[in-house]
Amino acid sequence: MTITEKLAILADAAKYDVSCSSSSSKRVARKGNLGSAAPAGICHSFTPDGRCISLLKILMNNYCIYDCAYCVNRASNDIPRAAFTVEEVVDLTMNFYRRNYIEGLFLSSAVIKNPTYTMERMVLVLQNLRETQHFNGYIHVKAIPGASLELIDKAGSYADRMSVNIELPSQRSLQLLAPDKSKNDILLPMQNISQQIVQNRAERKTLKKSPHYVPAGQSTQMIIGASGESDLDILRLSAALYDKFSMKRVYYSAYVPINQDKNLPVVAPPMARENRLYQSDWLIRVYGFQAHELLDEKTPNLDMDYDPKTVWALNHMEQFPVEINQAPFKILIRIPGIGIRGAQKIVSARKISPLDFNDLKKMGLSVKRAQYFITCKGRYYGTVSCEPLKIRRALKPQKTASPHTGYEQLTIFDQLAALNGEI
Amino acid sequence: MIIYLYDGSFDGLLTAIFDSFTDKRPLDIFRQEHYQPQLFDEIISVTTENDKAQRVADSILAKLSFDTYQRLYYLYLSELPQCDYTALCYLKMCYRYGASIYLAKNNPLIHRVETYCRKVTLEAHRFTGFVRFIELAPMIFYSKIEPDHNILPLLQGHFVRRFSDQKFMIHDLKRQYALVYDLHTPYFTPLTIEEGEHLLTSKTTDPYQQLFAVFFDATTITQRRNLRLQKFWMPKRYWQHIDEAHD
Repeated sequence: MTITEKLAILADAAKYDVSCSSSSSKRVARKGNLGSAAPAGICHSFTPDGRCISLLKILMNNYCIYDCAYCVNRASNDIPRAAFTVEEVVDLTMNFYRRNYIEGLFLSSAVIKNPTYTMERMVLVLQNLRETQHFNGYIHVKAIPGASLELIDKAGSYADRMSVNIELPSQRSLQLLAPDKSKNDILLPMQNISQQIVQNRAERKTLKKSPHYVPAGQSTQMIIGASGESDLDILRLSAALYDKFSMKRVYYSAYVPINQDKNLPVVAPPMARENRLYQSDWLIRVYGFQAHELLDEKTPNLDMDYDPKTVWALNHMEQFPVEINQAPFKILIRIPGIGIRGAQKIVSARKISPLDFNDLKKMGLSVKRAQYFITCKGRYYGTVSCEPLKIRRALKPQKTASPHTGYEQLTIFDQLAALNGEI
Repeated sequence: MIIYLYDGSFDGLLTAIFDSFTDKRPLDIFRQEHYQPQLFDEIISVTTENDKAQRVADSILAKLSFDTYQRLYYLYLSELPQCDYTALCYLKMCYRYGASIYLAKNNPLIHRVETYCRKVTLEAHRFTGFVRFIELAPMIFYSKIEPDHNILPLLQGHFVRRFSDQKFMIHDLKRQYALVYDLHTPYFTPLTIEEGEHLLTSKTTDPYQQLFAVFFDATTITQRRNLRLQKFWMPKRYWQHIDEAHD
């Protein structure tokens, strides 16, 4: 089998992993060695699905012994299989990197023979890249649940980011759809990595020269809409993951129906759901919201027509409208339609002189949603009066869900908002 | 209208700012190459003088801030309409109100400065990703780009640090010059399109170019096509030099 065929198979098999971030690592360049990590991350290309290519995202091999219902690589699927040798992965990474195609390597693998053997092969690639080639670019590596912790530790000493996929939002779904994986196998390495990161951070405070351990943090991913959990369950789980394992990111991946299985839904969940979950995730992580502020037992699912911040604001109209010339930053970012950058601009400009409504437009802020939740110099500028029902009607999206595909057509800016985290 | 014409270098712009600073008449600043003569214009040719430029730079750094100086440089690189005159007005404003006037984002001039600077820094960041090298000979790489703004000086640091063990050249076809790194000191040199093509004739194909195109196709999730999003992040005008890109 040629390298081209292998690459086609093993990149295709890896593409459902969402994470492609190459940020947060400060690995500095060394003269005479190849590579550096850019703290902001760099996207090198964009595929027709609108996702970026930042890392060479591939599997070591796709001969899997497991049979997870949702996965394209499950043992019972009749698909072409392939396996890279260590040298092939190293060669591809180095040569793609030299041509500035990629920011680094994202290495994952199907479980071949057993988890420890699989992990060993991956560590060999990392070791070769870092020690033989002196490669100094970004590496994201998957920890294989069930592999020996020493190996995972060793991988961590070479990698910039590690991740263990939690796969599904509850143990029940995991048993149903991924019977070979257990919750403990997943949580154990996760916990181990998080402890090591904390310990390494502390060490580096006193000993600046001590080697990095997963400097860009760990992340995880779960599949949305393949099982019956509500959005509230999902957000609670991610809040706990951020809290307990100091996760850098939790990724959500709307289930794409690739396999037929009696336990799987036939139609894909709307993409809008993934989008709304990301928006909520951002609100929790960056904007200082709590999961229970966005959802509760009475309304366990996110509204598809309105973004979660607008929904929250409409339910808390007693706190609005807010005077933009006085409200502190923390309150400004809670106004629908005003994000971190917008709030920074407001705080900056009002130091010079008080702002009126036109000033906001001049600054390039979008007032489509914000107009109903703010006053400028005491005056309210919304096109309808400040009542939840009227605002709700004014903000109702014009487009309806397309009946053919089950996918909701999103406007580009809604999706962008999810990607930028500006809501 | 009084027109100050300068040679197109950053020092030239600073000299033009020096010369025109106290001129109270209605005026404008242009680079020689961008200027189109108008009937009633009175032209003042600025001769670049390094010590005048140095005095402007020193004054900005001492009395205003490094950020202000950097913004002037970005305005200069932007090559957008009126960017030189905007630089002069912005500088006058800073001297009048202090560098913190940049906080007044609702002021139209500040808004324009911010927009122009953002365009330049955004494009510079994008091109840290969109540059595509082709291997001419073992460990010698060549890339051609056509950015909207003159961002090559901003790319220098990143590429030299990252690819410190390979010789490379990034060729700006629009402005006909190139950044060259030969493992020692990086430098800029004029380079025409024909000379660039001549470099490429020695090279037929790069096998990894083909491999990356295969990767690009394989990693696309066809069920989730979203061409508008793709073009938002990677505008189509850049595609001619990004070999794998297609929709």
